[in-house]
Amino acid sequence: MYASFRKDKKDEEEGGSGMGGTGAGGGSHAFAHLEKTSVLQEARLFNATPVNPRKCTHILAKILYLLQQGESVSPTEATETFFAITKLFQCPDPVLRRMVYLGIKGLSNLSDDVIIVTSSLTKDMTGKEDAYRAAAIRALCTITDATMLQAIERYMKQALVERSPAIASAALVSAWHMGQHRGPGSTGPDVVKRWVNEAQEAVSSDSIMVQYHALGLLYHIRRADRLAVTKLVSKLTRSSLKSPYAVCLLIRIACQLIEEDADEAAGSSTSIYFDFVESCIRHKSEMVIYEAAHAIVNMRRTTNRELVPAISVLQLFCSSPKATLRFAAVRTLNQVSMTHPAAVTACNLDLENLITDSNRSIATLAITTLLKTGAESSVDRLMKQIASFVSEISDEFKVVVVQAIKSLCLKFPRKHGILMNFLSGMLRDEGGLEYKTSIADTIITIIEENPEAKENGLAHLCEFIEDCEHTTLAVRILHLLGAEGPRTSNPNRYIRYIYNRVILENATVRAAAVSALARFGALCDDLLPNVLVLLSRCQMDNDDEVRDRATYFKVILEQQQQNLNSQFILNGLQVSLSSLEKALHNYTLSGCDAPFDIKSVPAAPIDVSEKKAKAGEMGMTSKKADAKPTATRHDMFVEKFAAIPQIAQCGPLFRSSQPVELTACSNLNLDPLRVIPESETEYVVQCIKHVFPNHVVLQFDCTNTLNDQLLEKVTVDMEIPDGFELVEILACNKLEYNVKDTIYAILASPEDELSEWIGTVSPTLKFVVKDCDPNTGEPDSDEGYPDEYVLEDLELSVSDYVQRAMKANFPAAWEELGPTNELEDTYVLSSMKTLDEAVKSIIQFLGMQPCERSDKVPEGKSSHTLVLAGVFRGGHDILVRAKLALSEGVTMQLTVRSENPDVSELITATVG
Amino acid sequence: MLSIINRLLEWFKSLFWKEEMELTLVGLQHAGKTTFVNVIASGQFNEDMIPTVGFNMRKISKGNVTIKLWDIGGQPRFRSMWERYCRGVNAIVYMVDAADMDKVEASRNELHNLLEKPQLAGIPILVLGNKRDLPNALDENGLIEKMNLNAIQDREICCYSISCKEKDNIDITLQWLISHSKSGGGT
Repeated sequence: MYASFRKDKKDEEEGGSGMGGTGAGGGSHAFAHLEKTSVLQEARLFNATPVNPRKCTHILAKILYLLQQGESVSPTEATETFFAITKLFQCPDPVLRRMVYLGIKGLSNLSDDVIIVTSSLTKDMTGKEDAYRAAAIRALCTITDATMLQAIERYMKQALVERSPAIASAALVSAWHMGQHRGPGSTGPDVVKRWVNEAQEAVSSDSIMVQYHALGLLYHIRRADRLAVTKLVSKLTRSSLKSPYAVCLLIRIACQLIEEDADEAAGSSTSIYFDFVESCIRHKSEMVIYEAAHAIVNMRRTTNRELVPAISVLQLFCSSPKATLRFAAVRTLNQVSMTHPAAVTACNLDLENLITDSNRSIATLAITTLLKTGAESSVDRLMKQIASFVSEISDEFKVVVVQAIKSLCLKFPRKHGILMNFLSGMLRDEGGLEYKTSIADTIITIIEENPEAKENGLAHLCEFIEDCEHTTLAVRILHLLGAEGPRTSNPNRYIRYIYNRVILENATVRAAAVSALARFGALCDDLLPNVLVLLSRCQMDNDDEVRDRATYFKVILEQQQQNLNSQFILNGLQVSLSSLEKALHNYTLSGCDAPFDIKSVPAAPIDVSEKKAKAGEMGMTSKKADAKPTATRHDMFVEKFAAIPQIAQCGPLFRSSQPVELTACSNLNLDPLRVIPESETEYVVQCIKHVFPNHVVLQFDCTNTLNDQLLEKVTVDMEIPDGFELVEILACNKLEYNVKDTIYAILASPEDELSEWIGTVSPTLKFVVKDCDPNTGEPDSDEGYPDEYVLEDLELSVSDYVQRAMKANFPAAWEELGPTNELEDTYVLSSMKTLDEAVKSIIQFLGMQPCERSDKVPEGKSSHTLVLAGVFRGGHDILVRAKLALSEGVTMQLTVRSENPDVSELITATVG
Repeated sequence: MLSIINRLLEWFKSLFWKEEMELTLVGLQHAGKTTFVNVIASGQFNEDMIPTVGFNMRKISKGNVTIKLWDIGGQPRFRSMWERYCRGVNAIVYMVDAADMDKVEASRNELHNLLEKPQLAGIPILVLGNKRDLPNALDENGLIEKMNLNAIQDREICCYSISCKEKDNIDITLQWLISHSKSGGGT
């Protein structure tokens, strides 16, 4: 938990550069210049007779060091080394033997045939030499596979209840690890479950460590069974555990139960657990006290009254002479400062005292906490304080500071000047990519949220890219400059910074700079001649991509036509790139007779979750953006359907909806902590609607949650809206317990009438039930009986036919589409209470992409304009402008423009 | 008094003549390999054995010779690993269940497979037919025939029929083994 803070970045770098022998602290150490091949060569010495324990121990240490450093070892090398190590079992030297165990563990995943040492380890584990036994258990459990586990079960059971704490703990922890990995065919977890009695016995051990480990294992075995966990907790909370570690664990388990109860809104038993957690605040061990206080402040719904004792404990810890306690307390306060600001404010005085703490980590956390909770007037003073030592703290804590500043800027927009200056100062300092990214992110967020800060922020970013070693960051900032710069009061000033990049940077950055320049040319007429000159210079670049971009943009800009500019420079390509690649590949195979139709390529799904991380929420950890998968969800479906001839005939897939639950009260799998879904329905059915040019394919994903039933000939019977025609149903032959299978229904859409595309499908699941043995899944008899299960209705709505599309420059696109197919109507959305609510529901209803950040309603305004863009089935662009006004509900004037008059009509008709 | 001097003499002799030899014991499962190790190490015969998973390493002192013995499991999954433990040993001991006619052929194939390995060329081999106490057990001649031992010409080979249970012929086996330590047992 504290691991990320323990290692000081600088120390770590020194440790790492020890390979280079330049570590300032310890100089070059014994293993500095190790080379894998020579070390593995030395390992041959293990085969020599007689064994030289001292030398062999040293070589083993080298091998372990290399493995720790992440050196890649091929299976052949690993196997050779592993078998050489097994020869060392002939030597009784205790030091060497323990190194052998470590070597076995280190190579257990890399080498083949590791089970060869099973017998030898079993002998050591049950032998007389106590020093060997614990280590042998750990080694044995890492090499044991599912087939061998039964063979050692007897010894494991004995070891679990061993009197010696070291041995019992080794067995308990190893069992816990074995229970973890659940691979295909791995029986590990199942076998471990049989050791519950031993684990139970070990919980009452006298040893602090054993008790803790035993509780860990016991909970691990039971955790899927909610009732058993409840019993376990209520039993243990009454008997007072001796081990403070075990009590801490018990607090965590109890909190888990409280949260789960809260989810199910059945909080009757919750109070017992809460009482237990609260009683732990008065425990004699500081660790337990802290854990309990930490748990209480982090619970999702604690009342202020419940919070008071926990906060006062943390307050007390703030003035503890022990640095660890001060750190823990201030860190916890920092984490909850956004959720319980009032409670944290109570500790302000203590936090003030910590500002000058000799421990920089504590001081940083104290200051950032105060920044988050404090008043506007104290900002200047605190910033001055933090500036005095910001260069001395590690990157992780700098990120914490940056995040605190980010939330401050959102809270006190007027302070953006001083904060932005501070940030730009930090930008100029030394720091890693993560740190710099978080600063740039913060500046970008500030620019987005606060129009007044825009020019100032852009200027700082311009300064930053003048000397920026991170390509990704430079590219991002150039893109931002291209998007925001042209609309500032003085776009001229940015050109120099951007063109400098073309002269000075690597090819990737140069290409990004060229694109940014083109945007200035497209939007600022007075700059156009200059941009053209610069672009023609870029045509001399020695990189293909840079030259191509320059040529492309120059030719378009020279036409001086607004619609060309907006289509090819400002709005860019709206298709999914991986799909485009596939479509082009197919096109080249087909002989290229007709011109390639870009509309046949599905539009790129826009990642909605992107903007989820609201600026307000802040933790110690900075979230890293997930690496984008190379194949999108869309591509997965396309690939899957290509294998089903009936669906492949339908043509290119236009859009797939999110799965819709068709079975009642199936709020399963929402809680990732619960491993086994305790479903309340007999069958779980989800539906995904796939829209093709002329067909709609409904994909029903069915799961049978009854382990004593086998379903056969599973199909869907349904009532479909008028005009639709059922083409085919691809039934599923057999549905076994907990195995997901899929039924497809292919519907042909009505040809002309767009309005008939919208409707309701009422599906019913039909099947033949056979009772079967819950354990084997074998049916009791061949006789079955037909049955059916009514599913919830499924709506086919407008949003199913619309793909989100991003228009970077909405006004240009709006003009380009023209008023030819414009339709306008006014609606009263009486159920809406706020503009924000209305905006959200419109976006959801139409399934279109909000542009120009119009999905954010400024606070305190009574009117707002929402602009949306999308692509309708068949590749028709649609743009929607909704003017909203708040008056007894929300009044909306909706204007739709599209390439197809029918589409405009459909949209205006269905809204409301 | 004399006995003390004698023992002291023996001890001095053993200091100078102390020798180590390394043997590997292989063969199909349930042939009696681990039992054999127990018998020569401690004279204990135990009928109730569990299969060896992997290998056991034993050191046995006989006179002034210390025998290092690698006793490798005989289950099919371990057979590919026999060779690794046979490299560079003084002799390979191959155990056959002489009373199990059904498995003799498999045993013969495994033996010949093993001896084909170039790394093991020239290493002397001792084939032991265990369980001669059982009725219908093969004797030496039967074994030589069934195991096709005559075909092995490139190394020293010997075959004994033994019984771990009755401790039959264990002594001559040991003698043969000791005579194959580097100096032939120091005599």
